[in-house]
Amino acid sequence: MKIFIKFDFTAICNKLLEEKLNELEIKYKVLGFGEIEFTEKVSQEKLDALNDALNEYGSEIVENQKSILVQKIKDTIIDMVFNDDTNINVKSSVYLAEKLDHSYGYLSNLFSEVTFTSIENFIILQKIEYTKQLITNNELTLTEIAFKLNYSSVAHLSTQFKNTTGITPSAFQRIITKRRELSNENK
Amino acid sequence: MQEEDVFIILADDDEDDRLFFEEAFDELKINTKVATFNDGVELMDYLNKENSLLPNILFLDLNMPKKSGKQCLQEIKKEARFKDIAIAIYSTSASEEDIENTFVMGANVYIKKPNDFKQLKKVLSNVVTINWQYHTSGLNKDNFLLRL
Amino acid sequence: MLRTIVKSERVLKITFGISLFIILCMGGFAYKHVRKLVDSFNLVEHTYEVNVQLEQILSYLKDSETGQRGYLISENTEFLQPFFSGRENTNNTFARLKQLTKNDTVQQNNLKKLNTLIDKKLKALDQILTLTNENKLNSKQFNALLIEDKKIMNEIRSKVSEMINHQNELLKERKKLSTESLSNTPIIIYSVLILMLLLLLLTYFRINKNLKILKFKNGQLEVFKESTNQSEIVNKHSTWTYFTEENRYEFSDNLYRLLGEQPQSFEPNLENFYQFVHPEDVNHVTEQVTKMMETENLPFLYYRIVQKNGTIRHFKAYAKVLVSSEDNTRRVLGTTADVTEEVQSFKLLEERNLELERNNKELSSFNYVASHDLQEPLRKIQTFISRLEDKEAASLSEKGILYLDRIKKAATRMRLLIDDLLQFSRTNKSEEAFAVTNMNIMLENAKQELAEMISEKDAKITADAIPMITVIPFQIQQLFTNLIGNSIKYSKKNTPPIITISYSKVKADDVLKLKKPKYNYYHKIVFTDNGIGFEQEYAENIFVLFNRLHNKNEYSGTGIGLSICKKIVENHQGYIFAEGKINEGAIFEVFLPLK
Repeated sequence: MKIFIKFDFTAICNKLLEEKLNELEIKYKVLGFGEIEFTEKVSQEKLDALNDALNEYGSEIVENQKSILVQKIKDTIIDMVFNDDTNINVKSSVYLAEKLDHSYGYLSNLFSEVTFTSIENFIILQKIEYTKQLITNNELTLTEIAFKLNYSSVAHLSTQFKNTTGITPSAFQRIITKRRELSNENK
Repeated sequence: MQEEDVFIILADDDEDDRLFFEEAFDELKINTKVATFNDGVELMDYLNKENSLLPNILFLDLNMPKKSGKQCLQEIKKEARFKDIAIAIYSTSASEEDIENTFVMGANVYIKKPNDFKQLKKVLSNVVTINWQYHTSGLNKDNFLLRL
Repeated sequence: MLRTIVKSERVLKITFGISLFIILCMGGFAYKHVRKLVDSFNLVEHTYEVNVQLEQILSYLKDSETGQRGYLISENTEFLQPFFSGRENTNNTFARLKQLTKNDTVQQNNLKKLNTLIDKKLKALDQILTLTNENKLNSKQFNALLIEDKKIMNEIRSKVSEMINHQNELLKERKKLSTESLSNTPIIIYSVLILMLLLLLLTYFRINKNLKILKFKNGQLEVFKESTNQSEIVNKHSTWTYFTEENRYEFSDNLYRLLGEQPQSFEPNLENFYQFVHPEDVNHVTEQVTKMMETENLPFLYYRIVQKNGTIRHFKAYAKVLVSSEDNTRRVLGTTADVTEEVQSFKLLEERNLELERNNKELSSFNYVASHDLQEPLRKIQTFISRLEDKEAASLSEKGILYLDRIKKAATRMRLLIDDLLQFSRTNKSEEAFAVTNMNIMLENAKQELAEMISEKDAKITADAIPMITVIPFQIQQLFTNLIGNSIKYSKKNTPPIITISYSKVKADDVLKLKKPKYNYYHKIVFTDNGIGFEQEYAENIFVLFNRLHNKNEYSGTGIGLSICKKIVENHQGYIFAEGKINEGAIFEVFLPLK
């Protein structure tokens, strides 16, 4: 006897996904085909286990891996800029490649693909963000900030600040100060 | 990338500018939804409705009849419900006074309307991208100042 | 001149004092001499009396002797009468002599001796008488006694004559002394008189001279008074005095004239004066004058008066207390001036100033509004052009594309003009605050603004360190941007621009081209380039608005950039100069005041 089965791939896949997710006790929401959203935080082990389970069926977690890596890149950069003073002197490409165990070319391409900006731009953005934070804290002078963030000169930092934000560091500081005064007045 | 559409509002009394603005976003192919209002009063009426969908980014022309961009900015900044809206001033003027004043009043972005369509597209995409960065990378929104 | 009078007054006082002293001395001197004269008279009299008394003693002794002899011969007791009275008289006279010569020890001694002799004589006489009564007249003893008696008598005589001689000697000596001193007296008195005369003469001349000076001064004062009167009339000025203690006023003639009245035609008091003061100003003036009478001070007071013919004039008054150095009387000296013309011209000036200010404001706001409002349609034109270029270029003919390109270029140029005009009108605003500014950062900012141009032309810019200067920061940045931009814009084709910025501090006096410098020192910032330069004759023209040295197709200037530079530097009370050499380069010198 020969029969024909009309597979509902979507239903099967969804059923499979549902089983595996339930096994791992992950709470989720189905957004569309092959697209789910976790409604609570999922540990890396669980994600790895899910990936392994799916591998048996020739499937794998696609976007997630990429975005996790991107997130890792971001976290590493933020950590490097904000917390790891000692490594700021090391070239960021080398630093990232070592920390994340991938070639810089791969990381760079992946990052641009997902975020529409380059790693370099992201680093600059973070550095300028850190500069803003330091400026508003009034703890360091611009010269000290430039030194701390490994800029060759204050002028270099100023230029990058101006290029990134469109305003000069001193204008930024002035605006933030005035804003605080204004909000104090309104209170 | 599965992001929800970026919801963008422009309040500008100038018809041509609204046209350029909408066309620019059309061509940008970012997932955006654009709404426009003809003046400040219309805009505030919409925002103040309880169940209105609030924009991610609000573009404000400074020089509008009935209610100026600065007045809108002031009203928006008073309302806690609007605290997550990024505000971009979108003006012909680039006087330092206007720029500094609106920044102090709480604007995040100041755009001098470009005189080239390509430039306009670049500027708008820049604003959306940076805003997205602030949104996703946990940056301090208080420090979000951008002049283009 | 006044000082010489004061000085000669002192000399006169001294001369008078000396004269008085000399007269006093002379009086004393004369008195002393007269006393001396009287003394010598007394002395002569005294000597005479002493001599008379001495002679008398002799005579009394002789009387006694004679009486006794008479008795001896006649044995008549009547003769004894003189004998006894002579004895008594001798004793009396002797006492008198003793009294007269009590100050003369020599004569006292002589008197003592004389006394002994007289006693002896009287004793002898007594013995003789005793013997006579015993009738022993012829006895040897009697004879011896007589001889003895005669001997004593002789001794007395010689003693008396010795004493008389001594007295005469004494008189002679004293006479000599007094004659000596008295003979000098006339000469001394005479010379003193001469001296007095000289002093009097001197004083006379002095007084005469002072009188002449005073007369001259009085003349001058008269002239001065007259010229003051004249100048009061010409300058519409007047003076008045308020005598604090007496509560009395004095008005100068011209004050009456300023009020439109005849000089001194009414009693100078406040009541009369207030009748002229403008009704609206009376309260204010009364208040101030009352205050003045208390404080003896009147700060500048402005008010109006109305003359009897109805003319309104503006007055300005001022007064100050004057305390006389002589008698400490207090007077308030005031001046009152008619300032109607000044007030009117000031009002006119003020009006014109306001008008000018208004015009200026209008002009700059017109400029601002024009350039600002022109921007909007232009921006749209440009955006539409870019839309056409992007979307519709394919459907345009070749000519159409060319026209579109031309439109685009014209619009770009218009944009440039409007931007520069806007900038020019913004530099007008002077309310921008000055601040101590790091000029090096301004320069860095300027370079950032021009970054694209700099890298495109591969320009090299070197600069000295410039100290902090008090400036309007954004204007200075504009100045630097314009100057550097200018140098890059007018660089030689195919030669990368090299711009050198040097700094020095200069003394205003050392730089002759600084006209009427207000400050002693200036910061001098020099921009030197290796561009196409210009002919020196245009060195001043290039700062004039819309003035261009080059065809706009060659170089894309608007002719506003350097005008902005000049305006900025002038806003800072500085100077800017240009120096150029065709094909070698240009030098721009900026002088900013060192405050």
